[in-house]
Amino acid sequence: MITTDVAVKFTLNGISMERNVPPGWTLLRFLREGLGFTGTKCGCEIGECGACTVMFNGEAVNACLVLAAQIDGANIWTIEGVALSGRELHPIQQAFVECDAVHCGFCSPGMVMSTVALLLHNRIPSNILIKESLAGNLCRCTGYIQIIEAVRKAASSIADMELEKFRH
Amino acid sequence: MISVLEYLRPEKLDEALRILAGGEHTPVAGGTDLVLQLRDGRPRKVLDLGRLKLDFIRDNGDVIEIGSTMTHTALASDPLIIKSLPALSKASSLVGSLQIRNRGTVGGNIVNASPCADTLPALLLYDAEVVLKSASGTRTVSLSQFVLGPYRTALGPGEILYSIICRKAEAHTGWSYIKLGRRQAVNISRMTLAATIFMNGDGKIGSARLSAGSVFPAPSRIPRVERMLAGQTPSRELYREAACVAADMMIKESGHRWSTPYKKPVLISLLTRALTEAQGKSISGTVS
Repeated sequence: MITTDVAVKFTLNGISMERNVPPGWTLLRFLREGLGFTGTKCGCEIGECGACTVMFNGEAVNACLVLAAQIDGANIWTIEGVALSGRELHPIQQAFVECDAVHCGFCSPGMVMSTVALLLHNRIPSNILIKESLAGNLCRCTGYIQIIEAVRKAASSIADMELEKFRH
Repeated sequence: MISVLEYLRPEKLDEALRILAGGEHTPVAGGTDLVLQLRDGRPRKVLDLGRLKLDFIRDNGDVIEIGSTMTHTALASDPLIIKSLPALSKASSLVGSLQIRNRGTVGGNIVNASPCADTLPALLLYDAEVVLKSASGTRTVSLSQFVLGPYRTALGPGEILYSIICRKAEAHTGWSYIKLGRRQAVNISRMTLAATIFMNGDGKIGSARLSAGSVFPAPSRIPRVERMLAGQTPSRELYREAACVAADMMIKESGHRWSTPYKKPVLISLLTRALTEAQGKSISGTVS
């Protein structure tokens, strides 16, 4: 059987790329196996756990439910693009560390990406909005208290310019 | 493993309809249901609706036309939907998780035709009709006739769901939308109820609408209860009486099960709550 790869042009973490992707690959598989970006985790693969959350045109999405072919023209951010430079953590990541919001770490990339998307849309989120925005991200370690605290801390400590790059 | 052989993303509607007329391709929009089905090996060829500009909302006076690829996130936050189709806005805001609402579309929710589809009970309140397009033309079907049963619709070969037309509620109509599940988030509905109540100037119920999801093979209006309420003076007793009739219909439909002794009082109190809340939001105020 012949499959036809699909040409896609997109921006990943601020860098323009052109690739050919198999028509049946999800964005999750493309990131991990096609590009070697394994920071985005593969959990349930049915859109329930949020471990694969990435930002697609400024919105949090489950990479397991998006076809890689659908990212043509899109602007994608993954956890690999969040840190300020090679070593320096982004204030959102720093807040997660300081609030003990990271235990086993498997949900953390998704949690951080959901937080980036939330703060892009709302710089002073209420507790209810924080909970709603993270409701699609499961954590089996922390009980969420520390994570919500981390998001609040990130919201209060972050400067607008530290979110600016995610808009492009 | 997903074994898709072909992915197409036409730029123009007529091109898309021409391809779909060949009968080999399945439309995909947000993919939140379809990508799961792809894992089971079907369909093998997909056509992305994403470039066809079907993400529109048009205010056409008495009715609102919603393009089929409007996402749940967009519907939940759109001012016109919030004002004129509030139960739909609420339903959209309760679908899955934010990640799913950001991709999932109202058209996908309809065409997937799950008995627990969250937007359907709300759309039914507004007499929704679906506009279907194919290479051979356009037809309009009422939503209640379009959804035939669990995961079955009247979508013909080569057809796409183009848009949904909803009738705006009359001014001062009260509404409610209740979703019951086992948890608060990423929640598969166990029961959804949607209701509107319009009060006449004389303090009597002018018209009532009630629909339910997850408890029937397809989400449905409950005309028998709507007729029971019209023209009556509202009271808790009346709503409870109506709720008992609706609950009996639901139990009859699902069959008497071991869980029925628990379910019946729950159904009655949720139905009573839906009707009471709807009236509470209408202009007339409180329930005596």
